[in-house]
Amino acid sequence: MSDLTAASFAPLSDQQLSQSIARPSLSYWQDAWSRLRANKRALVSLYIVIVLLLFTVFGPVVWPVDPAMQDIDQISQPPGTDRTATLVAEYEPWFGTSGLPGAGLRLAEKATSQAVRLQWDALDDASGHRVYRNLFPVGPELSYGIPMAEFLNNDTLYFEDRLDLQPGRFYYVVVALDERGLITDRYQSISVDVERVTTLAEALERGLITESEAVQIGDKIALAWHPFGTDYLGRDLLARLMAGARVSLFIGIGAPFLFVLFGVVYGSAAGFMGGRVDQLMMRFADFVVALPFLLFMILFKIAFGIGPGESGVFPMLVALVVLLWPATARLVRGQILQIREQGYISASQLLGASTPYLIMRHMIPNTLGVVLVTVTFAIPSAIFTEAFLSFIGMGVAPPTPSWGSMSNEGIKTMLTTPHELFFPALFISFTVLAFNLLGDGLRDALDARMRNVE
Amino acid sequence: MGDLIEARKLTRFFDLGGNQLVHAVDKVSLTIGAREIVGLVGESGSGKSTFGKTLLGLHDKTDGEVIFRGETLPQKYRPADFQKLATKMQMIFQDPYSSLNPRMTVGEIIGEGLRLHFSLSPSDVKDQVVDWLEKVGLQADHMSRYPHEFSGGQRQRIGIARALILRPEFVVCDEPISALDVSVQAQVVNLLGELKETMGLTLLFIAHDLSMVRYVSDRMAVMYLGSLVELGKADEVYFNPKHPYTGVLIGSNPEPDPNLEKGRASTSIQGEIPSPVNVPCGCRFANRCPKVLDVCREKTPELISVKDEDRLVACHLVS
Amino acid sequence: MTAAREELECATPLLTVEDLQVEFDTFGGTVQAVRGVSFSVDQGRTLAIVGESGCGKSVTVQSIMGLIPTPPGRITAGSARLRGHEILGRSTVRGKEIRGAEIGMIFQDPMTSLNPTMTIGDQIAEPLQVHRGYSARDGFTEAIRLLELSKIPEAAKRARQYPFEFSGGMLQRAMIAMALSCKPSILIADEPTTALDVTIQAQILDLMHELQKETGMAIILITHDLGVVARMADEVAVMYAGKVVEYGSADDVFYRSAHPYTVGLKEAMPTNDPARQHELKPIDGSPPDLFSPPAGCGYSPRCPYAMQICSDRQPQDHDLHGHHSASCWLHHAQSESRPETLFFKDAR
Repeated sequence: MSDLTAASFAPLSDQQLSQSIARPSLSYWQDAWSRLRANKRALVSLYIVIVLLLFTVFGPVVWPVDPAMQDIDQISQPPGTDRTATLVAEYEPWFGTSGLPGAGLRLAEKATSQAVRLQWDALDDASGHRVYRNLFPVGPELSYGIPMAEFLNNDTLYFEDRLDLQPGRFYYVVVALDERGLITDRYQSISVDVERVTTLAEALERGLITESEAVQIGDKIALAWHPFGTDYLGRDLLARLMAGARVSLFIGIGAPFLFVLFGVVYGSAAGFMGGRVDQLMMRFADFVVALPFLLFMILFKIAFGIGPGESGVFPMLVALVVLLWPATARLVRGQILQIREQGYISASQLLGASTPYLIMRHMIPNTLGVVLVTVTFAIPSAIFTEAFLSFIGMGVAPPTPSWGSMSNEGIKTMLTTPHELFFPALFISFTVLAFNLLGDGLRDALDARMRNVE
Repeated sequence: MGDLIEARKLTRFFDLGGNQLVHAVDKVSLTIGAREIVGLVGESGSGKSTFGKTLLGLHDKTDGEVIFRGETLPQKYRPADFQKLATKMQMIFQDPYSSLNPRMTVGEIIGEGLRLHFSLSPSDVKDQVVDWLEKVGLQADHMSRYPHEFSGGQRQRIGIARALILRPEFVVCDEPISALDVSVQAQVVNLLGELKETMGLTLLFIAHDLSMVRYVSDRMAVMYLGSLVELGKADEVYFNPKHPYTGVLIGSNPEPDPNLEKGRASTSIQGEIPSPVNVPCGCRFANRCPKVLDVCREKTPELISVKDEDRLVACHLVS
Repeated sequence: MTAAREELECATPLLTVEDLQVEFDTFGGTVQAVRGVSFSVDQGRTLAIVGESGCGKSVTVQSIMGLIPTPPGRITAGSARLRGHEILGRSTVRGKEIRGAEIGMIFQDPMTSLNPTMTIGDQIAEPLQVHRGYSARDGFTEAIRLLELSKIPEAAKRARQYPFEFSGGMLQRAMIAMALSCKPSILIADEPTTALDVTIQAQILDLMHELQKETGMAIILITHDLGVVARMADEVAVMYAGKVVEYGSADDVFYRSAHPYTVGLKEAMPTNDPARQHELKPIDGSPPDLFSPPAGCGYSPRCPYAMQICSDRQPQDHDLHGHHSASCWLHHAQSESRPETLFFKDAR
């Protein structure tokens, strides 16, 4: 310690003991925002929610396809399938091709979506034949498929299928019939890949080609592109998802917004007034909670009487608002009761604040954190409720799309065309998850402030 | 200079339902003269905070009256009553953490009184707020900051500025320093003292720290379970207590002086403070009083003046 | 450790803490909560650790007891030896559990320190069951006896009650009973009476004093109230900004205060001695930010006697006569100011 000099021990010049604060000022919301941003999961959820909102609002502008338009040529097509159609001549009837080479069950010509033409030789000991069509090859259980035609003698050994021919693979089975006309277990089967074709007249009619284009038989024409595929009626899934988003989010955000607003007003009034009025108001809220939710949703729907052409969105919104406000009211009332005891309320009273001023300026702003979190959790709940109700058929009426009703339709063909279920279900899941995680993040960000943690 | 504010048999009960009444303040009579500092001490359940709040109208009066400069104040206040009296009496609150609205800036908090009373231009309000910030030892640029950015002592200063900006005559200080550190308590107490002198304030200083109350106050009042048991000049009450409870209270107050403390006989009393719900008849202190007499258990003593002294005591031993 | 403190050690101190350093990782950075604390306690004696909020007194004793959660907290240096055996970071010493058995602890707010869903008797019996292998019934019987020792009337009935049925003072007594159940050699009391009324505080302090006389245990009392210190303490350690700034007997610290902070605290408190009335002199400013502790003395920004060196370098502990030491450059040989002439002193 030899470096200590006399100067070291000289008195320190007058130190200005300032009361200044070094760190920058952060308001409640700025602080909450910085906490939210630090939470990666919540931030990602926020981005997903924003993307979803953009999808809903601007999607139809970017992808202006009519969700109700049916593309007959592409029914139940998963995304990414081949969407070309070969141009062919107009249909002409066919009655078998004589001198067809080959033996047994065979195609007379290339199978197209215009017609599938089969010819066969009579089976052993057959007194007749029956033609079946199946989506799957015949297995040991001998489920042949859909019966297409029956011939009770061996004269007719050809068959033309024009029924609902979708591009894809079909399995045709010709089964021998016995003298009595009953099917035996002798059969022949062939797998047929149907190619999509269209005629010039149809193409022009559907707007796939214009008058001026020079096309000829054999050319391939591109059909409309459906990025997410089509549903069982040939409607573009992406357009339907966008339209469904509008419905789901309108109800999913609109209803919570409204019932939270009502709940805040109701709860603040009850909490502030206290005493008998408070008790009365809360008992009424309890009564509303006690009503069986699903039953009343259905009752509302029936009571409102959805007529033809009405979508049923508005009645559902009203029903949700009327049944779900008590939870928020209770929450806000609890907050108000707590806030009422705080010193700054008494201080404001002493300064001469009127009751509405106290409620609006002091009490409600301090409940906003809680309210915001409630809203953020109420949204996925409402979206899911709407989806569920539409799924069981108690929601919006067709053809108004909603993710729930789309899922309902998709379930029916889940095994064959899973994409019809997959996309709406995925959207529902993602949206609900994103809002829930966002709500979690918001609550963490705002909670610290709510408890005045230093 | 005359009496500023007088409480006459002021009573405040809380109804807990089921026939249970909390006798928080029971027939307390107290007169405070202009420019006086009266200290009010008591332990938990004594009702001192409730008394201060009832005095200002924050609680409705169950019975009794409050007279301010000769005018009887309403039994139950409505916002218009508060509005009228805001420039006459104010309060400084106990908990610096819950007595400031966390969503308002300091400037808004301090300026609220002005905005509720006078139609001043925003820049006039701002000038006054800055003036007051500096008066309480803070800085002008603190106006735009939020309460959570300040320490406990600084928040109390903000609370003081808020209360005094309307220039009231009478201020109730409800435990203003209890939540603060020792070195900060002195800052706030000194500030209050200065402002009292410059503004000619009258203070009711409610606290449980006996030493601080004695230091600050001209006169000192002692409450026990809702009743006033002793009232007199602060030093005299402290060094020469006449009520047994006051004696015990002062005897239990530890002094930062080891020789004095270790030489002092133990004056701790037995038993707990009874619940203010079912108040025993007779003197409330009877079950713990070291000098209890039979009459104490039957008859409630009145607050009477001690002969030849400026002292009021509610004890049978004195009468 | 200074020579003065080493001398104290020779009188077989029960617990010796040396250069304890603890830090915490928080949202805003790393806080150096305790920056080198040393003290010792003897059997049958009471050490008071005094300081204001944020000085690190609670963290110090909690880390000795192993109560600091290790993330985010961390003991970075130092040792604590109980009868010569290191206890930091350990849970047993020579086969006996430290926490609960060798060292008992009571906390500030009894309302929140006791489990509201267990009866008082069960809670007091718990350490006996855990550390001493008592059966539930024997533990309960012993709990009743301990409640009587803590002067709780109708102990048998009280043992079956729940915390909400007790008042604050009685809960504190119950906590003391619980802390003493395994006959610890040291009782740590962290602000035991701060939440209590002054008359109840007197009762509790008297009780602690009596129990100490009966059992011979040492007491470490954490408090911010100099009156309580004067009443209870044999030795005093004054803490500021994570360090011990003054250490010595109660008489030394009160009557021969050797650190500007101690003097500042005394001047900021009202005294009731008619002969020594003074104006309250607050200490301006506030404690330093322990996120980035200052290079020099933590108190220097607020110290009226600060010198150049005070803001440059940490002061060492300077021995004063007896077992008294202060961490202040004013006592350095080269310092020109003599503290005796500066500080408000009274010799008794």
